[in-house]
Amino acid sequence: MKKPLCAVKLFAGRPLKIVVVAAAMLVAASCAPRPLYRPPVAPSSTTPAISRAPQSPSVAPPAPEISKKPLPQEAIIREQDLKSRHPSSGPGAKEASRDGGAGEGRAASESFAPPLPDDSSLLAKITPATAPQRAASLRLTEEGRKLLAAGDPQKALTRLEKTIVIDSTNAYGYFYLAKAQHRLGRYKESLNFLDVAESRLNKEPFWLAEVHALRGENYRALGMMQQAEASYAQALRLNSGNRTAAEAISRLQGEDQPASR
Amino acid sequence: MKGPKLRFFSISLTVLLLITSSGLVFGGWYLKRLEETVAAKFEGKKWPLPSKIYSDSYLLYVGINLQLDDVWEKLRRLGYHRTQAMPKSKGEYRYQKPAGLLEIYLRDFVYPTEPFKGFPVRISLQGTVISRIENGVSGEEIFSLELEPELVTGLYDRIWQERRVVRLSEVPPLLTKAVLAIEDERFYHHYGIDPVALLRAVWVNLRSGGVVQGGSTLTQQLMKNFFLSDERSLSRKAKEAIMALIAERKYSKDEILENYLNEIYLGQKGSQGIFGVWEAAQFYFSKPMADLTVGETALIAGLIRAPNRLSPYRSVDDATKRRNVVLAKLLDDRVITRAQYDSALREALPRRELIKVTNDAPFYVDFLRRELAEIYSNDELTDEGLGIFTSLDLHLQRIAERSLAEGLKKLEETYAGLRRKAEGDHLEGAIIVLRPQTGEIKAMVGGRSYQKSQFNRVFQSKRQPGSVFKPFVYLAALMSSAEGGKKFTPVTMLEDSPFTWSYDGQEWQPSNYNDEYFGAVTFRRALEKSMNSATARLARDVGIRRIGDLAHRLGIQSPLPAVPSLSLGAAEVTPLEVAVAFATLANNGVRTRPLAVKQVMDVNGRVLEKRDVRVEKVLSPQMAFMMNYLLKGVLDRGTGEFARKWGFTRPAAGKTGTTNDFKDAWFVGYTPDLLAVVWVGFDGQSKLGLSGAQAALPIWTEFMKRATAGTPVTDFVAPPGIKIVDIDPVSGQLATPNCSYVLREAFPEGDEPTGTCPLHPGPAAQVPRLN
Repeated sequence: MKKPLCAVKLFAGRPLKIVVVAAAMLVAASCAPRPLYRPPVAPSSTTPAISRAPQSPSVAPPAPEISKKPLPQEAIIREQDLKSRHPSSGPGAKEASRDGGAGEGRAASESFAPPLPDDSSLLAKITPATAPQRAASLRLTEEGRKLLAAGDPQKALTRLEKTIVIDSTNAYGYFYLAKAQHRLGRYKESLNFLDVAESRLNKEPFWLAEVHALRGENYRALGMMQQAEASYAQALRLNSGNRTAAEAISRLQGEDQPASR
Repeated sequence: MKGPKLRFFSISLTVLLLITSSGLVFGGWYLKRLEETVAAKFEGKKWPLPSKIYSDSYLLYVGINLQLDDVWEKLRRLGYHRTQAMPKSKGEYRYQKPAGLLEIYLRDFVYPTEPFKGFPVRISLQGTVISRIENGVSGEEIFSLELEPELVTGLYDRIWQERRVVRLSEVPPLLTKAVLAIEDERFYHHYGIDPVALLRAVWVNLRSGGVVQGGSTLTQQLMKNFFLSDERSLSRKAKEAIMALIAERKYSKDEILENYLNEIYLGQKGSQGIFGVWEAAQFYFSKPMADLTVGETALIAGLIRAPNRLSPYRSVDDATKRRNVVLAKLLDDRVITRAQYDSALREALPRRELIKVTNDAPFYVDFLRRELAEIYSNDELTDEGLGIFTSLDLHLQRIAERSLAEGLKKLEETYAGLRRKAEGDHLEGAIIVLRPQTGEIKAMVGGRSYQKSQFNRVFQSKRQPGSVFKPFVYLAALMSSAEGGKKFTPVTMLEDSPFTWSYDGQEWQPSNYNDEYFGAVTFRRALEKSMNSATARLARDVGIRRIGDLAHRLGIQSPLPAVPSLSLGAAEVTPLEVAVAFATLANNGVRTRPLAVKQVMDVNGRVLEKRDVRVEKVLSPQMAFMMNYLLKGVLDRGTGEFARKWGFTRPAAGKTGTTNDFKDAWFVGYTPDLLAVVWVGFDGQSKLGLSGAQAALPIWTEFMKRATAGTPVTDFVAPPGIKIVDIDPVSGQLATPNCSYVLREAFPEGDEPTGTCPLHPGPAAQVPRLN
């Protein structure tokens, strides 16, 4: 009677075969296609505002420019609601609107861009090719940012004012000035600095999203909830990973819940 | 016989008693008054503390190009001393040119938000560019550092007493003992007056034939300084003695000594009097009292006798002799050992230059006082020791003063008609300098000579701006176009010819300079050459109210009547308003508030007030850029082109201004980082007879050349939504290779020409700019 083949027996004395098989398995694994990137789902709530879960074809919108993933029903309704509250009003609205300029020209059921990589490091923007005044301005901005994080907005303000003296094109300096003003409770001043930051930011969606999110915070503090929501939405359109906007939207939804029932 | 004698005796006795009792009553009342006076001084506020006005701090960072002469001057004004050896004390610096190394031992400074403790820094230079900054102790790399603000002046009542009040416990014991040893060695044994010292002084003075020794105690000296004059009279001496006795009775020795050490006069620094031992340590040795050596301590004690005559700033030899006298006394009294004495004798007193605080910005200070007077009373400003931190840049201030003075003088030399002899009728001018991105007022010169006239023409004088107002007309036209109104671009053709503007039943006929008209001209050309008629026509199309509203939005605050002549600057405004409005353009459409006072700090370092940079977007960056781009042409090809010929070659925008009657000459010009407005004219409204290009532009050019020397070259950056294309300036269409003259022009995106030049047919090509 033949003895059943035993794996051990099969490979016993054949160490080379083991190595070859293991190596082949490793190579096969590394060549396998990577799974599709799935952005993180927004914080869960009973009615999630933003979700990238695939939709049934009956409600899928036409694919927008930024993302081909359709929105869930709730998000479509929210978008329509926002649009109805802030209709776009012609060419001037692009510049004049403080509501994030969300509505004009976009499909009602647009989806949000995937989260952008974190571009918040100011020191990373300093390269050997960076002009000296820009480098100095960025470093001072970083000092100001740290002072803000340490809870000293007044000192941060003094530091940050120097950044725009050295380099008036430093948009990040204006952004953090806005943040310092916000921390000091000067929301209108903060909005003014954000306007300037926005006008100096060029093709930086990560930072533009930050601007809109902070704008939303200012509006919320001033009790201007509609403008706040629009700003948060705009922030998320630019960067769905913007935590400030995402959390604020969730909070607002949570506050809205009892009224909507 | 007996009766009359008795009567006489009793009357005499009565009179004597009356006199005696009156004397006693009066004496008692007088003593009571003196006692109250002494108590009020000891227990109330003793010394006025003048407020101090500081300039802005000076920021150094890696990569900055230093103008070394300016840096040495800055350090000198801050009281830093150059040494040959490595700096070992705060306030010293050394420059080693071959090694490209600048070492500075930074001084302590109390900034409003945080006190700064000085430390040594090493600055490596490649040529004149900072390549590295490091902490001289730890070697840690630093990317930026601030040189402390300069003291501009103090606000005081009558006398500027520079003083830092200290407790007796803060005064080093050696210093206290030195003062007592040389001034009043029996201080702790007498009761206010010292008969022994008095007799000894009398004896010494009699022997020498003059007053060589005083017999006054410390307490008497204190009473004299607190209350009495320097008059040498018996009555004054008597009063001094009585008050000293009163003080000794009411207060402890330590209290009296503490007051003395804070009160005593110890030198002069220009208009600043140096009072108290703390201030003396800083003034003579740039160090805190605790760090004084034995020799330095002895000198300070010795200066009490005659601070100015014995000052080391006047004579190191005299100061050294006096120091040695004190050292000998200390050795005699066994306060110091022989070893300390010998070591102190070998200390060389530093030979230093006395840097006097002179108010180099009197007009600026006046402006500050007005601002501060809205919040603080005069007593608070002169007595409370406030620290007032400003945006003043003394380097720019000096350049502005010099440029204006030299410029006006040159005008008088060139044009004989400008020379006036009558007092108050001389040619005048004003300059204001702003940082557009923050609104900080960096320099202000309100007139030719503050000594002759304190009238500040920057903010007190309203004059017609003339053509300086025209950019608001053109800007209003561009904005109207952007908002869907009649289309205007830099290549839109305007008509420059005589016309009549009818309004409210009146008629106005604007005329050009020399009655010269140019017919059909481009929008740009009309502005560059400051054509009146074309501008007025444009204003009529746009609407005069819209123009006035826009000017207000940018920063003009004066009323602007809605009449056609407003388009040519017929309303009166101040140079400060003009500066604020144009700074809005320079700052990409963001208006800032003018900032002179930045922070106010009380004597304890507490921030009483902080004025932050305030911004407000009033114009789109696209519109602001369009205007800046147009106004660059004024300097490159227009009425301001002589600035280029005179050597100012940086990218800049500007506008000349001349009033119709030639009474006012203006120039406003700016880079993205610096703006200056110059006005020239007569206070009495006499005719100047010169244009803005002839009178104001030369002064502006000289100022900007000096002010921007060594600073990074910056240009206005086109924001998104702006298209820059090469065009033929005659046809206004896209240039072809056959166009002989090409202009690079900016347009709002979508408004740029799409057709090629019909005058020089060919394919559209982005040819290299020829102009």
